[in-house]
Amino acid sequence: MRRLIIVAYALALAGCVAMAKVEKGELAVGERLSVTIEGPWNHLQAPGLGPAQTWTMEGLPVDQLLLYSGIKDGQLIQASGGGQKQKDLTFRASMQPDEIVTMFEAMLTRDGSAFTLSKLEPLPFGGLRGFRFEYTLTRKVDNVVLAGIGWGTVSKGELFAMLYMAPRLTFFARHVPQVEKIAMSAKVRE
Amino acid sequence: MKRREFVVGGCACCAALFAAGLHAQQEWQAPARFTRPNIGSDEGGLWAIMDREEKRLRSSPFLIRDRALHDYVQDIACRLAGDHCEDVRVYLVRTPLFNANMAPNGMMQVWTGLMLRMENEAQLAAVLGHEIGHYLERHTLERLRDVKSASAFAQFIGLFGVIGLVGQLAVLAGMFSYSRDQERAADGIGATLMRKAGYDPAEASKVWGNLLAEIKARTDHDNELASVMFATHPGVEERVETLATLARESPGGVTKAGIWQEKIRPFRRDWLIQEIKRGQREESIALLTRMIPSSPGQEDLLAARGEVYRLRAKDNDLDLAIADFQAAAALGNEPPEVHRGLAMIYRQRGQSVEARASFQRYLEIAPGAPDAPMIKNYVEELGQ
Amino acid sequence: MIWRMGNRYAAGGGRSQGLAIDYKERDKMPGRIDLRRANVMVRLFSVSICLLLLALANPAYTQSKNRAPGFEALPRGSTIVIMPTDIELFEISAGGVLEPKAEWTATAAKHFRDVLDTKRKLLDLNSAFLSEKDADDVAEINTLHAAVARAISMHHFGASSFYLPTKNEKLDWSLGESVQVIKQKTGANYAFFSWIRDSYASAGRVGSMIVLALLGVGVSGGVQVGYASLVDLNTGQVLWFNQLTRASGDLRSAEKAQETLESLLKDFPAVK
Repeated sequence: MRRLIIVAYALALAGCVAMAKVEKGELAVGERLSVTIEGPWNHLQAPGLGPAQTWTMEGLPVDQLLLYSGIKDGQLIQASGGGQKQKDLTFRASMQPDEIVTMFEAMLTRDGSAFTLSKLEPLPFGGLRGFRFEYTLTRKVDNVVLAGIGWGTVSKGELFAMLYMAPRLTFFARHVPQVEKIAMSAKVRE
Repeated sequence: MKRREFVVGGCACCAALFAAGLHAQQEWQAPARFTRPNIGSDEGGLWAIMDREEKRLRSSPFLIRDRALHDYVQDIACRLAGDHCEDVRVYLVRTPLFNANMAPNGMMQVWTGLMLRMENEAQLAAVLGHEIGHYLERHTLERLRDVKSASAFAQFIGLFGVIGLVGQLAVLAGMFSYSRDQERAADGIGATLMRKAGYDPAEASKVWGNLLAEIKARTDHDNELASVMFATHPGVEERVETLATLARESPGGVTKAGIWQEKIRPFRRDWLIQEIKRGQREESIALLTRMIPSSPGQEDLLAARGEVYRLRAKDNDLDLAIADFQAAAALGNEPPEVHRGLAMIYRQRGQSVEARASFQRYLEIAPGAPDAPMIKNYVEELGQ
Repeated sequence: MIWRMGNRYAAGGGRSQGLAIDYKERDKMPGRIDLRRANVMVRLFSVSICLLLLALANPAYTQSKNRAPGFEALPRGSTIVIMPTDIELFEISAGGVLEPKAEWTATAAKHFRDVLDTKRKLLDLNSAFLSEKDADDVAEINTLHAAVARAISMHHFGASSFYLPTKNEKLDWSLGESVQVIKQKTGANYAFFSWIRDSYASAGRVGSMIVLALLGVGVSGGVQVGYASLVDLNTGQVLWFNQLTRASGDLRSAEKAQETLESLLKDFPAVK
């Protein structure tokens, strides 16, 4: 997360990156996922920073919504420096929900942040069989304790997922209803 | 970045000579207690910065606040520090790396990765005594004066402070290691403090020897990146020999293995899970393989090693994992993850019946686990 | 443009043309009239005028970048708690070593406190205090505020391409009712937060890369960066926020600290 913020900001200064408004209504994310937006979301436009889309309501240092659409077998969920980490961040189509959550955990804890899973349950996502999970993330860089929630499904070997995190004080409770609406509106085209 | 050259292979001759030299130094006296230096001096400045880091550490979510464990470690440090007892303030930090350090203002950090690796109280005393040695001889200040670059200075503070990217620590640590002379001095003082406090100094050599063995298990052989402790305390191989020689000169003393194991027992499962999550498979396997024969609560250690094999999944790892999981289960009082791990391997191999049974066993032992709803779902799916 | 990220003491590598003026050196130059005294007088005068105007002002409402929408003034007699300033002063030596200077920091912190207290009195606000123990208890709110301050820095005072369109260029952030614990402990209605990183080049000065400073990777070469905010302790709304990024300013002396504070307190709300 810290690296994302630094790199994004450096690119913003260079004029390559911007924050854009997410238009309300139905929105296509990638080729097979669509969601319906009601709330005031901002989208980080950053070519090359992928594969997730990053949205925020209050700013990147505060809250982040990550959207993954059509991640393929063997694809990294986040750019890595190679080595062991590469393996931990690679999606495999054969992954079970608990393994997908472990993969996201590896991504979120790269900087030494501490992750605790508080719930993992089956729940439809995108109109398909999927899963939902809740977690706490203690951000290493500034000690902020974040509450987190995520949804996912694998369809035809591709991963579709949403993760949201915000400080557990005030912000998570404030915005999670909006986030849940988005999750419930998600549709994955088969 | 300067690369440190490490002594490859012991140097028994040098070790013996040096030990003899240290023996003569057994008249070493601890200095008088330190008073706060003038804030305008570089030592005073460093002191003030450490005070601020300490303040931050006190409110960090990574600090372990368990009173009993804290007081136990504080007491060990206090007895080692002798007259300096009141100046030492111990902080236990939940980080799965082998590290302990003492800042010039008396703030002492001990990371949970280190505590996991100690076999007994004497070994912890060896490390704390060594760090107290650096403190008493003001080695950190000497290091600071040597630092040449801006970014280096900042990162140096990061070693003692709260903030810092864990992944980069070992890299940075290599830039600020103590000198060989400082290491020898700290070893000598640590051995003296241990002896005075009644501990068996033979344990000191084992600590470093164990660390070395663990690091050598790494397949990338990049020892410098392997460990903060290793990087900041050079010449480990040579020092293992020196410390062993020192100990032979005055044998005896307690190890207090039983008390140690009892005190850390409530925390060890969490530390083991953290160790697994480090993702350093070879090191974890080496560590756990060392610990299994000699530690109580083997079911936890077998469960952990089984999980590491399962995650590494090379060659015949899955079979090794099954063996470890089953051994843990046979001992009884096994962590529920044992059955979840077994179930996942069975599921992977298409053994639905066994997978289902193991998942169910997991749910029986841990009905309130965070992933229980998902595991129930797996059971249903496998039943179809 | 600042925010506190990563290792607060980290300094980036790299040197570039200097932007900072080494005051000690400049003042030693021959033929130089000692304008400092004159400057001080002029400055005190203008500050007084400024404050007077502030106190008397009854401006027509204009949308200020530094103020929350609809927020104009603090009620007379309000109580404000000044949260401990997060401040650090550095010196850059000839060899490029960025060294935190504890003595300067302690002095600057004191100057800053004095100047803030004077300002508070001039604005006829009451002060409340946060004990060391209480400060520890509200640590999570402090870290939360720091994260929000970074967001404001980045998305409201930063590159315009990084503004959040949904905020409509308004200062519209709130920490929510979680701040009320500060009110409970201190009895204050408002809290003032501040953060400053400041570095001074010595004789062999090195320049700074503003980009690195902006990224919070370090301040090397005489850059002063800081922010200050005023938070409503009932609602958690950030009522006022300002930040400072410049290559001048000097917190080591009392009168120059005054100038830094005035810059930092740009458009601070009036009291009515």
